[in-house]
Amino acid sequence: MDVRVEGLVKRYGRVTALDGVSLAFPAAGLTAILGPSGCGKTTLLRSLAGFMPLDGGRILFGVEDVTALPPQARNTAMVFQQYALWPHMTVFDNIAYGLRLRKLSGAEVRARVEKALDLVEIGRIAGVTQRRPGELSGGQQQRVALARALVVEPRVLLMDEPLSNLDAKVRQRLRAEVRRLQKAVGITTVYVTHDQEEALAIADTVVLMDGGRVVQTGTPQDVYFRPENAFAAEFLGVSNQLSGTADADGLSVGTQHVSYSGPLRGPVTIVFKATDAILADSGVAADGRHAVLRGMLEERLFLGSAYRHYVRVEGESLMIDGAEPVDHGPVTVRVPMARLQIYASP
Amino acid sequence: MDAGLRAGSAFLALPSPGRTVARATLRMTGVMVAIFVIFAPLSSLVIWSFTRTWHWPHPFPQAMGFFYWRKVLEGDLFRALQSGFLIAVIVTVLTLLLTVPLAYLLARYPVPFKAAILLVFLLPHAFPQLPVFVNATTLLYRAHLAASLSGVVLIHMVGALVYAVWTMTAVFRSIPESLEEAAWNLGASRLKTFFTVALPLATPGLVASTLLVFLYSFDEFTGTLLVGSPFVLTLPVYMYRTSVGYELQVASIAALLLMLPGIALLVVLERYLKSEYLSMFGRI
Amino acid sequence: MGGPAMAPQISPRPEARRPGHRPPRARDPFTPWLSLGVAAPPLAIVVWLFFVPFLSSAHRSLLREGEWTLRNYALVWRLYKIDVLYTLGISLVSLVLVIGIAALLCGYLRLVGHRFVEFLFKIPLFVPFVVVGHGMRVLLAPRGTLNSALAQVGLIDLNDPPSIAFSWLGIVIALVWKNLALAVLLVLGAYRAVDESYLEAARNLGASTFRQIKDVLLPMSAPSLVVASAFMFTSMLASFSIPLMIGGGEPPHMLMVDVYYRINYQDDLGTANALGMVSYLLAMGVAGYYLRTITVKPA
Repeated sequence: MDVRVEGLVKRYGRVTALDGVSLAFPAAGLTAILGPSGCGKTTLLRSLAGFMPLDGGRILFGVEDVTALPPQARNTAMVFQQYALWPHMTVFDNIAYGLRLRKLSGAEVRARVEKALDLVEIGRIAGVTQRRPGELSGGQQQRVALARALVVEPRVLLMDEPLSNLDAKVRQRLRAEVRRLQKAVGITTVYVTHDQEEALAIADTVVLMDGGRVVQTGTPQDVYFRPENAFAAEFLGVSNQLSGTADADGLSVGTQHVSYSGPLRGPVTIVFKATDAILADSGVAADGRHAVLRGMLEERLFLGSAYRHYVRVEGESLMIDGAEPVDHGPVTVRVPMARLQIYASP
Repeated sequence: MDAGLRAGSAFLALPSPGRTVARATLRMTGVMVAIFVIFAPLSSLVIWSFTRTWHWPHPFPQAMGFFYWRKVLEGDLFRALQSGFLIAVIVTVLTLLLTVPLAYLLARYPVPFKAAILLVFLLPHAFPQLPVFVNATTLLYRAHLAASLSGVVLIHMVGALVYAVWTMTAVFRSIPESLEEAAWNLGASRLKTFFTVALPLATPGLVASTLLVFLYSFDEFTGTLLVGSPFVLTLPVYMYRTSVGYELQVASIAALLLMLPGIALLVVLERYLKSEYLSMFGRI
Repeated sequence: MGGPAMAPQISPRPEARRPGHRPPRARDPFTPWLSLGVAAPPLAIVVWLFFVPFLSSAHRSLLREGEWTLRNYALVWRLYKIDVLYTLGISLVSLVLVIGIAALLCGYLRLVGHRFVEFLFKIPLFVPFVVVGHGMRVLLAPRGTLNSALAQVGLIDLNDPPSIAFSWLGIVIALVWKNLALAVLLVLGAYRAVDESYLEAARNLGASTFRQIKDVLLPMSAPSLVVASAFMFTSMLASFSIPLMIGGGEPPHMLMVDVYYRINYQDDLGTANALGMVSYLLAMGVAGYYLRTITVKPA
């Protein structure tokens, strides 16, 4: 089912949490909403669920305008960050709760609950249905929460940072699980997260938000490789920012010069990712396809998967990741021109 | 499955205006019922206290006015009010003097039998008071304290101590010890630190305890009835006597006077104190 | 004897002369004996005027005309067993009403909210039991304000007005009115401690307000409700001023009234104390039951 929101507005006193947000969530797709804290992503999700009365705008499930419906009548299902599994009910009762409210027969309820448990792959655990949530691990609890949401066959599945409470290893594994499940069930899913790696990994569409507004929408590759503005470029990946001035001859960054053939003129922001730059000893010359900047390597940290170098260029501290360590001292930073994002400064 | 959900919450699926009107009417009715329930007994008191004559079955008094107020404020009621107030003040002061140091020790130090001590103060509220106080009256009689102000003060303290001990222990415990340690570190003695750091920080608790104890003593009935009779009268006992004696105007005035400190405090507490203190009021 | 080598030193330790220097910790006068000394006066009051009389209840209940005997208990059984059941019955009915109303009302206050009603229900907390007694007398008496108001609307026969006061119903109404405020405070506090996400999950799956109360709020605050119930039940069993004022002249009476009348009108300390012992046992029974229910459940 297609889900659309048009012109959503939500204010808390003087703070505007949603500032005229309009989006389309494709049917059977997983749309990740990504952004820093306070960008409005959780507000958007909760207004889809009906927990939040809006100050303006419409929400459409298919052709139906559900804006005025209370949460009980919308037939959405939410997976909460803290799972919200009722501690006084067994796993079975937790999952069956929504089904019982819909007045299904006992046999029907049992069949669907077992199917849901198999779907989230904890049906094999002995006696799992009679256990209480407190007796399960975090990962298992999240699977039960997923099962509880999927078993009622909602029109939209809403996920509120469901994996952020879990250990890093469990999170990695469950990400793939969530994507597999979503594809298998084919349900329109809205997934809120602040973890960009997660958003890029599982989403069909990524929506980047900031300050109550949508910054960019697109596939994960679109948003990562072709960010439309400085915020998007800076938010995704580990990014570096430099200020410069563009004119007909090229870009000047402080006292240095970089070739440039784009249309912008005047003050600009230059963004590139830590993994796109290559560090070399000083003395390497520029060529047409690379920008070359001179700087001073001040600090180096070992991250396990790479070495992170902190290089000072024209007063800014840049982060450059590489597999081989480079020694302290003067260095050159080479970035392929195609990987340099240049935006007009506001 | 959508249909089952909709059918189950059919009321919610009503078009908006119908739902909101129905809900608003229900809400208003509920509020009216609540107002009636809470104020019906109290309003009768208010009406009776401003009544001069009222014969059954008229819905309203035939003559109203301050007649009985003038009559009683000179007589026994005023004396009962005075004694009750005086006793409550004495009880409050003595209780605080006896319990605040103890509460501080209980909060900060490994006092032997700590749990048992705290429990002892709670016992007068865990068991029926009347039979116990009947026997206590005999003990006070033997000590020549029955029917005297001191006897009543003592019997009030039996039940009042717990409010101060438990409240002040919790309050002292909630003050971070590092605040006192900073004072010791700078050279202040323990006693000086107690008076200049701990006690000022515990002021909300002191206020709460004072109010709880004062109100408990002012409203106390059972012990006063047994120990105070016949010479020491407080307002509750006076009110009881006039009520069963069918002097309804006088009794209602006494009842109103009894309620006033409580209602004033309700307003104060609504704004300043935490609800756990409020729940102790319910046991008065 | 006073050579230069023996010149007396003005200050034995140079540090002591540094301004502001003191030993790092103040001397701690605490000893267990000190604490017991501070505890003694307030404890003494409770021991002398509660513990000792409590024990002498036991003692006196076994004495009659100076002799050791069980006759007092026999008398209690003969005269007062109906009153025991009457007291238990009234307390139980009142408790069920109080908890039932509070559970639903607080559910509404928690899920929908109504600040004025919430404030209203705090008022009885500050009305002393004796005033409740008098107020209910005036309101519910055969010639009380309620009946006279109803008579105006024609709902009551003037010559035979119902007497709600002076009956078990009057006592129940008074006990419920007064205890409802405390119950609302405690139950609402327990409901507010239930995390919102549990309620949102239920709402999300389709639960109405009533079902949220029944399926989530009540089960998750059950321990607090049990504590509140145990406390209120014990206090209702032991109520004195209210049944004294509303109970009416005819038996059965609530137990505390019986004790009072036995002392005041029959001067019979033995039976009165035996009846008192029975009331202590009932109170302890309730407390024991409550302790058992909260310790049997696993954490």
